[in-house]
Amino acid sequence: MSEHADTEKSAAESGNHHGSNIKSYLMVFVALCVLTTASFFTYSDFWRDHFSLQAGWAFMMAISVTKAMLVVLFFMHLLYEAKWKYVLTVPTIFMSIFLVCMLIPDVGFRMSRISRERRHHMAVEPTDSSHAETPHSENGAEAIDRSKADH
Amino acid sequence: MSDDHQGPIKLEYQPGLPLPRGKTIMWLFLATEIMFFAGLLGTYIVLRFGAPAWPFPHDVHLSEPLGAFNTFILICSSVTVVLSLEAARSHKPALAKSWLLLTLILGAVFLGVKAYEYKAKFSHGIYPQYPHGLVYEKADLAYAARVRKTLEAHQLRLSKFETPTEHEQKQLQVTDTLLRFFVRPAELTAAQSGGMQGQLELNRLAAAIRPLSDEMVVERKRLDHEKQELQKQRKTMDAKASPLEVLQVDGRLNAISLLDGADHGLNEKYSWLHLPIVIPGGNMWASTYFLLTGVHAIHVLVGLIVFALFLFVRLDVHRSEHIENIGLYWHFVDIVWIFLFPLLYLF
Repeated sequence: MSEHADTEKSAAESGNHHGSNIKSYLMVFVALCVLTTASFFTYSDFWRDHFSLQAGWAFMMAISVTKAMLVVLFFMHLLYEAKWKYVLTVPTIFMSIFLVCMLIPDVGFRMSRISRERRHHMAVEPTDSSHAETPHSENGAEAIDRSKADH
Repeated sequence: MSDDHQGPIKLEYQPGLPLPRGKTIMWLFLATEIMFFAGLLGTYIVLRFGAPAWPFPHDVHLSEPLGAFNTFILICSSVTVVLSLEAARSHKPALAKSWLLLTLILGAVFLGVKAYEYKAKFSHGIYPQYPHGLVYEKADLAYAARVRKTLEAHQLRLSKFETPTEHEQKQLQVTDTLLRFFVRPAELTAAQSGGMQGQLELNRLAAAIRPLSDEMVVERKRLDHEKQELQKQRKTMDAKASPLEVLQVDGRLNAISLLDGADHGLNEKYSWLHLPIVIPGGNMWASTYFLLTGVHAIHVLVGLIVFALFLFVRLDVHRSEHIENIGLYWHFVDIVWIFLFPLLYLF
């Protein structure tokens, strides 16, 4: 494989699209900036009045995924690559999403199964202690605990 | 291969993927990196949403505008590195190098902002680990004891000076007043009553040292009320009251006056105090924040080192492949931050 000839060729190719390339980069840049600002939309009064906190999280993640896609497709040139891109990206994306999904049940597990030691050091007593391993603590201190567990 | 060819079979080399070796390796490396960060983010999600309490961004000195600024910086640097690649491809080495230099500068700015943010946390005692960390999960007796011991250590240190300066004298005064009329009584009440009243005292102590959200507004009203009561009491007791009682009331009034103007807590007003603070979920927050941003910062640093090395070579069309590879890495670092920013700053 003569790398020299290849690079010359690709140089000539990209030379043709040079102007349009830079234009698309700048458009992606503007889109990324707009999207970053858009994630602050969840802080607005309008959002607070009409949507839940969880909807805000979903919205911000959707924006992040969009931004990541823009970067991958345009800046990392994946949009213009041959089919090999699927070989490398699809298994990876699948496995990473799978990994995160596999960890989700642990969230529930951490909320409902609490060891004695963890309960001792915990900031707030869980309100529903029916699954807890240890009986409810003797003092009623949690009633006036200063943390807001449901923020 | 034709059939009339005798002898050993000629093997033809077929590359696995139709792209340069460096790029293949870079994409494979990025594939492992994606899974690495997916694991870290998954862990963060489990720890955060499985936690009974998690601090608000402002309680741990996170500034959203600063995070957004850093996002902007990284996006800009992604653009400059891609422009550098375009310049190298169209055989403009000088232009390519200047874009790369700009990328390097932007990356350094990112790390500078990150360092500033870390320092803001460290200076408020938010470390991921003892002994530097001052964060307690809840206001309990262990916490009150720690506050008392810290003040006692201050007292001991300050009283050792043979000729203390005016500043040190004032510090000693503040320490004495807080210890005698604020911290020890609170600890004592809490230890004796045990129940709700004790917890209330401890909560007030924690709120005075480091209020969360609007705690100080509530506390202020209560303190003003107590002050008026004490002043009334002081007026009526002048002549025949025992000096001990007078001292008690005066001391308490002094302690309350120390809290004047400490709307962001005693730790802010007297920054030399470094008293333990209560942030529910604060320790786990610190662990995840410093791990995630730290690992990301190391990636940024590695990118910057490679950019710095590239400044010493001619960035013509033959180098464009190399620029593309480091560019791929740099865009990946940008993508990681795109996910970290909302997860850490905005959620």
